[in-house]
Amino acid sequence: MKQTKYVMSEGLAFAEKKDMEKLRRLSLKGWHVRNFKFMGYSLEKGPSSDFKYSIDYRSLKEEEREEYLDFFSSAGWTHVTTEGNTHLFRAAPGTPPIYSDRETAAEKHGELGSSVRWTVISFVIITALAWLGTLITTGAFQSTLTVIAVILTIFALPASWTVTAIYKNKWAEEGKRVLVNVTRTLPFLLLAGAIFLITADGVTSVFRLLAYMIVGAVAFPAAIWVVTSLYCRLGKAVS
Amino acid sequence: MKTTEQLTDSMFYIMAALTEPRHGYAIMNLIEESTKGAVSIGPASMYTIIKKLLKQEWIYLHDGTDSRRKTYLLTEKGREVLEGEVRIRKLMITLAEEGLKKEGKV
Repeated sequence: MKQTKYVMSEGLAFAEKKDMEKLRRLSLKGWHVRNFKFMGYSLEKGPSSDFKYSIDYRSLKEEEREEYLDFFSSAGWTHVTTEGNTHLFRAAPGTPPIYSDRETAAEKHGELGSSVRWTVISFVIITALAWLGTLITTGAFQSTLTVIAVILTIFALPASWTVTAIYKNKWAEEGKRVLVNVTRTLPFLLLAGAIFLITADGVTSVFRLLAYMIVGAVAFPAAIWVVTSLYCRLGKAVS
Repeated sequence: MKTTEQLTDSMFYIMAALTEPRHGYAIMNLIEESTKGAVSIGPASMYTIIKKLLKQEWIYLHDGTDSRRKTYLLTEKGREVLEGEVRIRKLMITLAEEGLKKEGKV
């Protein structure tokens, strides 16, 4: 029986480079990715080797698969695993990267973004409508609508967050620095808006609730990030 | 002036390689060899560009019997685009060469 273990991903849309670097370090220690697992990777123990990893996003039809994979293997990249539209490859150090120019590298994120964009946008609109609905309704109907709005928000916030991150990656690749900086400041703007809603007078309680959810959505990942990066620093200091 | 957008370097190389029917691996090799290793097109870039050129009908599937190694070839439209691009790039080179020559004389 082979030794296996699980490592968590930091989210490919948010930290693809960091994830790939982590997989490289794990391979050096003899832990190689076997496949994607829920929110992470499952690894298998083997001999230590120096591999670099790369992700590509592409929706492939069955008859396109072989050719696509052949392009990679001809260029020295071994296919590790595929989950949906996400394909993971590895290669020996010094193998030229899978994307050799900016235009196509930006399209990688663009294609991923456009595949989920409309679903997320319509989801956000429905959520916003539900919140607006709580304003014009009363009684039991209003309570029901509030619950629906809260549940929708729980999904809409991280979903729109992810799409924003995907587009940030695309813009970063295209050198659109203004857009990248705008998306960077977006969480702070949201937080400021939410705090305003909480502290201001005359705001209906349902909107306070929404504001608390936004604060939670910004603060929770931030807290996780602080804890994990502290943990990483301490871990490095110890070893 | 042509109404089409200017080709990226990678697109130019790939279209230049498809003046004869070739599959992906052969395109990569030809580009690497003819530029003496200075230019290599990554597999993901290559796949993206092939799909784009097919969609624009500048290339077509020449032989798909081997599903692993399909070959492609320029269409008539693709040939025109490439010819137009070669003209522009020649002007570009002439501009630089003449500029450099003048500079040498001063």
